[in-house]
Amino acid sequence: MKPARFRYLRAASVNDALQALAENPDAQILAGGQSLIAMMNLRLVKPACLIDINRISNIGYIDEDGDGVAIGALARHNDVKHSPLIRERCPLLTEAYESIAHHTVRNRGTLGGNLCHADPSSETPAVMVATGATLMLQSLRGQREVGAEDFFLGTYETARRQDEMLTEIRLPGRRTDGWAFAEISNRHGDFAIAVIATTLRIEDGRCEAARVVASGVGEHAARLEPAEEALIGGPIDDARLDAAAAAAAGAVDPHSDSHADAAYRRDAIAALTRRTVRRAAARCD
Amino acid sequence: MTRERHYIPESRQREKPKSKYFAIGHSMKRVEDTRLLTGSGTYADDVSLPNMAHAAVLRSPHAHARIVSIDKSKAEALPGVLCVMTGAEAAEVTGPCADFSSPPTTQHCIAVDKVRHVGETVAAVVAESRYIAEDACELIEVEYDPLPAVVDLEEAVTSTGDAVLHPERGDTNVAHHRVIDFGTVDEDFAQADLVIERRLRWPRSGGTPIETVGATAHYDRGTGKFTIHANTSMYNYVGWLIAVSLKVEPHRLNIVPTDAGGSFGSKLFCHKVCTLAGTLARAAGRPVKYLEDRIDNMTSGDAHGSDRVYDAKLALKRDGTMLSMRLKVIDDYGAYFQYGVGQHGNAMAQVTGPYKINSVQVDLTAVFTNKCQQGAYRGFGSEVGNFVIERLVDAACEELDIDPIEMRRQNLIEQDQFPYIMPTGNMYDSGNYQAVLDEALGMIDYDGWRQKQAEAREEGRYIGIGISTCQERSVFSATEFWMWNPNETPGFTLSSSPESVSVNIDPTGKAFITLNAPFWGNSPETMAVQVLAEKLEMDPSDISVGYADSDKGFNSSGPGGSRFTVMIAGAVSGAADVIKEKMLRVASHMLEADPSDLEFRNGSIGVQGVPGKEKTLAEVALHAHYFRLDLPEDHDLTSGIDAAYVYDHPVTTMPSEDRTDLGIFYPIVGHMCHIPVVEVDVETGKVDFLDYVAVHDCGTMVNPMTLAGHVRGGTVNGIGSALYEHFHYDENGQLQNALLSDYLHPTPMETPVDIRVGHVETPSPFTEYGIKGGGEGGRMGAPPAIAAAVEDALKPLGVKVDSLPLTPKVLRGMIREAEANGG
Repeated sequence: MKPARFRYLRAASVNDALQALAENPDAQILAGGQSLIAMMNLRLVKPACLIDINRISNIGYIDEDGDGVAIGALARHNDVKHSPLIRERCPLLTEAYESIAHHTVRNRGTLGGNLCHADPSSETPAVMVATGATLMLQSLRGQREVGAEDFFLGTYETARRQDEMLTEIRLPGRRTDGWAFAEISNRHGDFAIAVIATTLRIEDGRCEAARVVASGVGEHAARLEPAEEALIGGPIDDARLDAAAAAAAGAVDPHSDSHADAAYRRDAIAALTRRTVRRAAARCD
Repeated sequence: MTRERHYIPESRQREKPKSKYFAIGHSMKRVEDTRLLTGSGTYADDVSLPNMAHAAVLRSPHAHARIVSIDKSKAEALPGVLCVMTGAEAAEVTGPCADFSSPPTTQHCIAVDKVRHVGETVAAVVAESRYIAEDACELIEVEYDPLPAVVDLEEAVTSTGDAVLHPERGDTNVAHHRVIDFGTVDEDFAQADLVIERRLRWPRSGGTPIETVGATAHYDRGTGKFTIHANTSMYNYVGWLIAVSLKVEPHRLNIVPTDAGGSFGSKLFCHKVCTLAGTLARAAGRPVKYLEDRIDNMTSGDAHGSDRVYDAKLALKRDGTMLSMRLKVIDDYGAYFQYGVGQHGNAMAQVTGPYKINSVQVDLTAVFTNKCQQGAYRGFGSEVGNFVIERLVDAACEELDIDPIEMRRQNLIEQDQFPYIMPTGNMYDSGNYQAVLDEALGMIDYDGWRQKQAEAREEGRYIGIGISTCQERSVFSATEFWMWNPNETPGFTLSSSPESVSVNIDPTGKAFITLNAPFWGNSPETMAVQVLAEKLEMDPSDISVGYADSDKGFNSSGPGGSRFTVMIAGAVSGAADVIKEKMLRVASHMLEADPSDLEFRNGSIGVQGVPGKEKTLAEVALHAHYFRLDLPEDHDLTSGIDAAYVYDHPVTTMPSEDRTDLGIFYPIVGHMCHIPVVEVDVETGKVDFLDYVAVHDCGTMVNPMTLAGHVRGGTVNGIGSALYEHFHYDENGQLQNALLSDYLHPTPMETPVDIRVGHVETPSPFTEYGIKGGGEGGRMGAPPAIAAAVEDALKPLGVKVDSLPLTPKVLRGMIREAEANGG
C-alpha cells in the first residue's frame, strides 16, 4: 500500500503555492493529507506532483470578520472545533464537529482541505451550505469568491479551478437563527450515511426562513427545498415536522452501498430532518 | 443418556486445586507489558536482515478465471526490480501449500492456471523497495478468461461445469457432505410435543489483527537452509509442512517467531505467506520481506470465519423439557479447504450447549465458493453453534410462553451430573451452570431492568434484555480436525497435540522459561511465570521468558482453542517437578538431610520443622552449577539445573469408526452467562448498550485481571460479530469492504462503557490446578445474547432476529417491514 511516484514541492508562501499550481497543471495541494495520502496509498489517485502548504505561516487563522468569522486555509479541524469564536458565531459547525472524524485525524486534517476534497458524505459542506458560507479562491490571475451552494458540484468535484487555491472560508454571523446538526454513521467518527444540517429563523412563532441541507445522500451537500418550503410560513408543529420529514425524504435520490441501501438513507433523512428541525426551533432566539 | 462404549480415562491431574496459592490467582501485571507498551516488541515488520529486498503481490481482480497469459517484461525492466515470479514459475520449485483437507485440495502460494477468488496472488515481485515492487505489479499484464463466479452458498451446492472450483476433487462444489445421528434422534423427535424450527444465518467475518501476516525469508545457498521470521503459530507442531512445500527436508527450515500484532485465530499457521517469502528469497538470492497489506489480508489472508446457513430444529415437551436437535447446515468455505471441516469438528464439542439434550442429528455440507478461504477465528465454529442453540431456545420460550430464565434453569445440566458425556461423545468435565446464571442475574439487576423496560415502552422507547447461557469448550485435541473426514479418505488421523517448555535455573537461582509457541496477543509469558512461581515459590520478577525457534523448539501445538494457559500450566508444572527434584537432591547433600524431609519455602529449601536450617535457591543453584563434584557420590546427578517437559493433552479418546461417537476431544468446558441491555432507535436502527454483564466460569483463574481482559476483549469482538462485521461479497464475488474503513469493528464509542465481568470458579478435575481455558469466551457468548436483547426490545413490533450482523440498515429494514404490517 504505497503511493505511485510523485514529485514533492514545498511552498513557502501562498504566492509560492499559486506559482507552483500554475506551473504544474497535474499538481495537487497537500494540506492535512488525511484523505489524499490514504487515497494515494491505495493508488486511487496518482497525482504527479504534490504542493505541500503546511510550512506556509499565518494561514491557519480563525479571525473575526465583521459579525462573522474568517478561517484560513490551513486551520486544523481541532482548532476550529475548539474555537470559542466559532462556537459563538457559528455553533452549527461546532456541533457538527462532534461527528467529524477522530481526534488524531482532526489534529492534522484541515477544514479547507476537507471542503476542497468534497467527499459526498462529508459533514462540513452541509454546514457551509446551511450557513451560507463564502469560499475565497485565489490564483495568479486574481481572487474570486464563491458561495458554498455554488462550490460543491459533484463527487470530489468543486468550482475550484486547477490553478486556484482555497485561501479563506468566510462564515456569516448567526443573528437569531436556530441551528442543529445530526448525522447517522455506522460508528462514531465514520463517514456519514446521512447528514442533515438545519438553520431556522422564527419570528412571532412563525418560521420565516429555513435551510435543510443534506449530505451523504447525493453527489454533494445540497439544500432540500421542498422540506424548507414545508417549514416556512407557520409554527413548527407536529404537522409541519411530519411534512418536512416526508418532503426531505422525497427530495433525495440516494445511492445504495454496502453500508446502507437507498431506503435506509431515505428513512434516515426523514428522521434527521425531524430531529434537527425540532432542535433548531428550540434554539431560535 | 447411555453411552456404553464410552469410558472416561483416569485424570492425570497432579496439582490439585488449592484454597490458597502463592502466585496463581493473583492479578499481577503482565510480564509482556513493559516490552510491548513501550514499543520494544519485535513484530513481523520489525525484522530487518542485511541486504533485504521487498516483495509485493499482484492480486486477481476476478473471482474466478483462467489465467491465459502473463507478460512480465515491463515489470522486469523497471529499475530496482530483482525478480518477477508467476505461479507457473513458482510451481517449478515449490509445491502446493500445506493443507489438511481429505481428499486434499491444492492451493499454490501463487495461483497456477486459475484464480479462484478476488485478491488471490497472480504474480509476485521482489524489488529494492516495497514502493518499486508495487510499481512493478502495475506493469504486469495478465490476460484472463473469466469463469462463472460462485458466490451464494446454496447455489454452490448445485454448481456444474466451469463453475466447479476444483474439478480434480469431483464435478461439484460440495467439498464435504455427511450426516451423523448422535444418539436416538428419531425416537426423541417422536416423543416431542413441539418442534421449533428456525432458519438462521451466520455471516462471514474474520480476525483482522492490526499487524497483518508477514514473513522475512533468507535462503542460505551454502547450507541449502531457509530461515523464515514470521508472525505464525504452530511452527513447532506442523511447521515442517512449509519445508515440504519448499521442497527441502524439515531440518533445512528454521522458523523464527516474531511477536504477532493480534491474531484472533487468523495467524494459526500462515503457511502461504511463509511459503511465498521462502520461494521468492530463493529465487532472488536475497533475503525477502513480504508483509500483507490490508487488502491482501482481507481478500487473501486465508482466515475468514464461518459462513453458515442453518435449518435448525429443537424438539421439546410441552413443559419445556428439551429432547433433541436436528441441524442441517451449509458452510461456505471459500476457494480452498486448508483445515477441512475442522470448524465443525470443533462445533461438535458443545453442539447441544449446556442443556440436557439427549440426541442431535447434524447434516453438514461444506461448499467451495469464489471467496477467500476459511481459517481459524475465535470460536473456530463453536461460536456459531452457540448462536444457533440460543436462538432456538429463545424461540421455544416465545412459543411456549416460558420465561427465558426459567427455561434455562429447567434444562441446564446439573452440578451432580459431571463429568457429563454429551450426545456427540465429548465430555464436559465439570461446571456449576446455575451458579453462573445466578451471579449474572444478581449483577445485572434483572428485575430492575424489566421494570425500566416497561416504563420505557410507555414512552415509546425500545429497551431489550437478552440472555445467553453458553458453553466455552477449551483445550482442543487434534481429532477435531479429521473426525468428520470420509471413511474412505480419513486423512492424517493424528492424536497428539502437546505443549512443551524448557526451564533453566541460572547459577544465581533465577529462572528462564523457553516457550515453543509464539506471543499471539495473549499473555503466555505471564501465565508461565505465575505457574512456575507457584511451583517453586519464587518471586515472579526472578523469572523471564523467551521463545524457541523451530531449530531448538519441540512438540508444541501453540495457542488456539483456548488451550494455551491449561497446556502451558501442565508443561511448566511438569518441568518444575524435574527442577524441584534435582534442587532437592543438591540441597539434601548441602543440608545433610533426606530429600523427603525437605520443603520449598519462600525462596529457600529447608528441613521441614526445623526453621533456619535451609539454603536459598541461589545457594543451591550456585552449588549445582559450579560445585557438583564437591558433593558426595550420587550416580546420575549432573551439574546445572534444567528441564524440558512435554505435556500431552489431558484427556482424549478416539472417535468410533462410524463417528456416531466422536470421543472425548474438547473436554475442559467452561460456561458463561451474558446479559446485555440494549436500546434500539427504531427510526434509525441503531443499537446502544445501556448495561452489560458477562459472568464466566473458566475454572481456577491464574490471573483474574488478564482473564477479565480476555472476557471484555472477546465480548467487544462478539459485539462486532453481532452488530458490525461482515465480509460483503457482491454477486460477482468482489469483496466490497476490504479496508478497515469499510469493514467495521466496534470502537470504544460503540461498546458498553463498562462490560461488567463476574467470575465463578469450578476447577477442572483433569488439568493442573483445575485451570480451564478462557481465550475465546466473550465472542462465544455475546452474539446470541445481543440477538436476544434486540429481539426483546422489538417485541412490540414482532421483529425476529434470524441473522447477523444487525447493522442499522438491516434492523431498520426489519422494523420498516413490521411497521408496514401494522406491527
